[in-house]
Amino acid sequence: MDDGFSYDQALMEAERCLLCHEPPCSKGCPAKTDPGTFIRKFRMRNVTGAIRTIKENNILGGACGVLCPTCRLCEKECSATGIDKPIRIGKIQRFLIEHSWQVGFKTFDNPMSTDPGRQAEKIAIIGAGPAGLSCAAELAKSGYSVTIFEEREEAGGVLRYGVPSFRFSRSFLKNDLRDLEDLGVKIKCSSAIQKKGDVEKLLEQGFNAVFIGVGLWAPISLKKVPEDDSNIFSSVRFLETFRQEKFKELEKVCRGKIVAVIGGGSVAMDCARVALKLGAKDVNLIYRRSYSQMPAEPDEKIEALEEGIHFILLNQPTDYCRDSKGKLKGINLIRTRLAGADSKSGGSAAARGSGRRKPVEIPGSEWVMECDTAIEAIGNKAAADSGDWYPSVSVNSEMLVQADKETGQTNMEGIFAGGDIVRGPGTVVQAVADGKTAAKSIIGWLEKKRLKPAGYVSSRKEKKV
Amino acid sequence: MSKKVDLSVNYCGVQFLNPFMLSSSPVSNCAEMVARSFETGWAGVSYKTLVTDKIPIFHPSPRMHGYNYGDKRLVGLQNVEQTTDRGLKPNLRDITWLKKKYPKHIVMASIMGFCNQDWADLSKAVSDAGADLIELNFSCPHMTVEGSGAKVGQVHDLVQKFTETARSVTRVPLVAKMTPNISDINEPAMAAKRGGAKGLSAINTVAGLSEVGLDDFVPRPNVFGKGAISGYSGPAVKPVGLRCVAQMAQNKEHGLPISGMGGIETWVDALEYLLVGATTVQVTTGIIHYGYRIVEDMIEGLSDYMASKKITRVKDLVGKALPRLHETGDFDVKRQGIAKYDFDKCVGCGQCYIVCRDAGGSALEWDNGARRPIHDKDKCLSCMVCSFVCPVSGLINFKEMPKTWKRKETLTLG
Repeated sequence: MDDGFSYDQALMEAERCLLCHEPPCSKGCPAKTDPGTFIRKFRMRNVTGAIRTIKENNILGGACGVLCPTCRLCEKECSATGIDKPIRIGKIQRFLIEHSWQVGFKTFDNPMSTDPGRQAEKIAIIGAGPAGLSCAAELAKSGYSVTIFEEREEAGGVLRYGVPSFRFSRSFLKNDLRDLEDLGVKIKCSSAIQKKGDVEKLLEQGFNAVFIGVGLWAPISLKKVPEDDSNIFSSVRFLETFRQEKFKELEKVCRGKIVAVIGGGSVAMDCARVALKLGAKDVNLIYRRSYSQMPAEPDEKIEALEEGIHFILLNQPTDYCRDSKGKLKGINLIRTRLAGADSKSGGSAAARGSGRRKPVEIPGSEWVMECDTAIEAIGNKAAADSGDWYPSVSVNSEMLVQADKETGQTNMEGIFAGGDIVRGPGTVVQAVADGKTAAKSIIGWLEKKRLKPAGYVSSRKEKKV
Repeated sequence: MSKKVDLSVNYCGVQFLNPFMLSSSPVSNCAEMVARSFETGWAGVSYKTLVTDKIPIFHPSPRMHGYNYGDKRLVGLQNVEQTTDRGLKPNLRDITWLKKKYPKHIVMASIMGFCNQDWADLSKAVSDAGADLIELNFSCPHMTVEGSGAKVGQVHDLVQKFTETARSVTRVPLVAKMTPNISDINEPAMAAKRGGAKGLSAINTVAGLSEVGLDDFVPRPNVFGKGAISGYSGPAVKPVGLRCVAQMAQNKEHGLPISGMGGIETWVDALEYLLVGATTVQVTTGIIHYGYRIVEDMIEGLSDYMASKKITRVKDLVGKALPRLHETGDFDVKRQGIAKYDFDKCVGCGQCYIVCRDAGGSALEWDNGARRPIHDKDKCLSCMVCSFVCPVSGLINFKEMPKTWKRKETLTLG
C-alpha cells in the first residue's frame, strides 16, 4: 500500500482549505464524516479533536480515507476547485487516523454513555462488515450492549476478505476493531446465523433489536461453473484466498499463465492486479463496454494499465472453452458495439443500467481468447438461501432485504437492515452511512418503546415520525 | 532589465553599488562568507559585531528558534545569538582582506563596547583595518554581558557619550544602530547625532517571546531548561521596522541618512523601506531562510520596477511615501466607502459571510442554495475583513460611495 501523508504534507494540504461556511465537502459525505470540521480542527492545531470528529462520525474513518471514491463524493464538492484543485480530503483523513496510532490517541477510551437502562438493552448485529461495524459503534456509543455475529473466522467483511492488501493495509481494520472493543462491542466470529429463522430466534432469546448487514457474497457467474473448478474463480473466492495469504494455491494458477478477468469494476481491477503480482504472464481484462463506461475509479484503471494489465474492451464473454479433459483453455468472446444509453431503472440490480451506452453484440464476430485461468468479477448477489435466515422479513426477487432507505426499518418490528444486502452493490462509506442510519432508528425505536412499553402498537408510520 | 537604471546610492558619504547589505549577524560572520555574498550581488556588509577580547563571548546553545505560521516556515525568528565569537584579530584581518579583494564593496564594521575605553579601542582598530563605516551596536536586546547592547541604547546619555568616544579616535563615518524596544526612537537618534554620528540604522531585533514548550514549559529557544526574552526578527516584524525608519526619517532635526532593516526578503520589502526613508537596506533573517541568492531577485526586481516607473536613481525613491504619512487625525472622514463584490469570480466558500457576521458589520446574508453571500451595502463598515479572508484576489475591492450615502446604524437590542 502506498505511503500516506506525513504531518507536513497533511498540514500543507489543510492550509489550502478555504474553511467554508456550511462546508459542501461535509454534505458530500454519505456517512457524514464531516471533513469541513475535521480539517478546520487540524488547521487550528486541534489535532486530537480532528481525529475525534472522524472517529465519532465514522468508526471506519481510516478505511474510508483509503478506499472512498473521494473524487465523486466530498472532493467533488470542494470549493477550492474554483481556484485550483480540490483539497485531498481522503489523504488528510487517512493521515489523521494513522497519526492517532502514532501518538496513541484513543477516541473511545472512556465509555460515552453509562445509562443503565440502555446498557440493559441488547442488540444483535448480523455481519461484521462495514454496515454492521458502523451500526454497532453507533449503538455502543449511545450505551447499548451490542453483539456482532460473524459467519467467518474474523471480522471486517469486505475489508478483510475483499480488498487486496496493496490497496488497503490491515492495520486500519485492526485499529478500527480495537476502537469497537473500547466501545464494549462483542464480536462473535465463526457464528453463522444462517439456519432457518435464526434471526427471529435472536429476538426470542432476549435481544431487543437486530440489524442485518450480511452483505452480498454469492458470486454472479457467467455460466454455471462447478465450485471446485480449479481454473475458474469467482472474484470472492480469488480475493478471499489472496487475503488469507494462501499464495501457493493462487500462484499455481497465475505464475507464468495467461489469466482472464471478466468485469470492469473496482473488484475486477483488484483481481487483475493481484493476478499480475502473483506472476501471471499476461492478464487480460475483458469488458463488454468501453474504457469510459467502466465502473472502476479513474485512478484504479490507470494504475492497472500502467502495471501492464491488457484491457480487452467491447467484448462480451459468452462461454468457456475447454480441452478434451475438460480443462479451461480459453474464453469465447463476441465483439460488441455501443448503442444508445440503457435505462436507469427497472430490471434486477445486476441488469439495471446506469444510463451508460448499451453494448450490442456484432453477429459473426465470435473469437476465442486463449487463457489458463479465468476470474469472474461481474458482481455479487445475495446468498440464494438468505431469505430463510430471516423468513419474517420481506425480500425482493433478488433476495435483497426490503428496508426503508431513510430508517433501515424492515417490515418486521425490531429488525433493521442496511448495506449491500438492502441497496445492492455499493461503497464502504455508503454501508457505514446505512449502519449509522439504522442505529439511530433502532435507538429511537427502543427509547420510544421504553417510554410507552404497554399498549404500544407497531406501525411503520409511527416509527417514521 | 533596463540599462538606464542606476542602483548605486550614497550613504554617509560612502558610495554603494546598490542599496543591499548584509546586516551584522551570523550571515556576516567571516570574510569567506562575506566574499561569497559580494560575488552574489550584495553591495555591502555590516560585519558581525566585534568586541574586544577582554571578555570572552560564549553563545547559548541552541542559539535560535524558528516561528512558523501553519505550514509557513519562519515567519519569525527568535535568537539569543551574541556578538562575534571569533577573536578580534582574525576579524580585523578578514576586514582588511575583504577591502583589498573587493575595493568597490563596502565594509561597515559593527562594534560593541562593554566600557567607554572599548568603544575607543574598537573604533580605532576597525578604522586601521580599513572599514568604510563603523556601526555602533547600541541595540542587541539579549546580551549576556551586563550594561551592553540595548541596555545602552535605552539610555540616551550613554548613546551620546559612546558615540563621542568613537568620534574622538576616528574620521570613519559612524552609524548608530537603534533598538525598537523604546517608546520614542528619535530620542536616542538625536543623542547619537549630538555624539557625532553621521548615520542611523534600524531596527535591531524586537524583544520577543515567540513560543513556549507545552511539555517542558520552557520559552523558546530552550537553552537547557531556560528561556529568555530575546531578539525577534523576520517578516513578522517588518511593520515595526518600517514604522521606526519612517519616524526617524520624518524627524527633520537630525536629517541623518538611514539604513533600514527588519523582515526584508524581497525587492518589494526593500523598496518599502526606501519609500519611507531608508537609503540602504540590510538583511539577515531573509538570508537565514533562503541564502545569499535572494539579492539577485532584489536587484532585478527593483531595477525593473524603477524602469517601469521611469525612475533612474534610487535616491529619487528615498522617502517618496513620507509626504503621504500622516497622523490619523488628518484623515478626511467625510469620505466613506464600502466593500464591492465581483461575484463572477466567487468560488462560494463563504468565509466572507462568517467574518462579516462575527467581526464586521453583519452586512452579509448567505444564500445557501447558490452558495453566495448577499451584500447589504448600507450596513457595510468598509473594514474590509471580508477581502482579507477571500481566497480570490480582486474579488472584493474598496469603493468610495457618494457623499450623500448614509450607512445604516447598527441594530440595538434592548
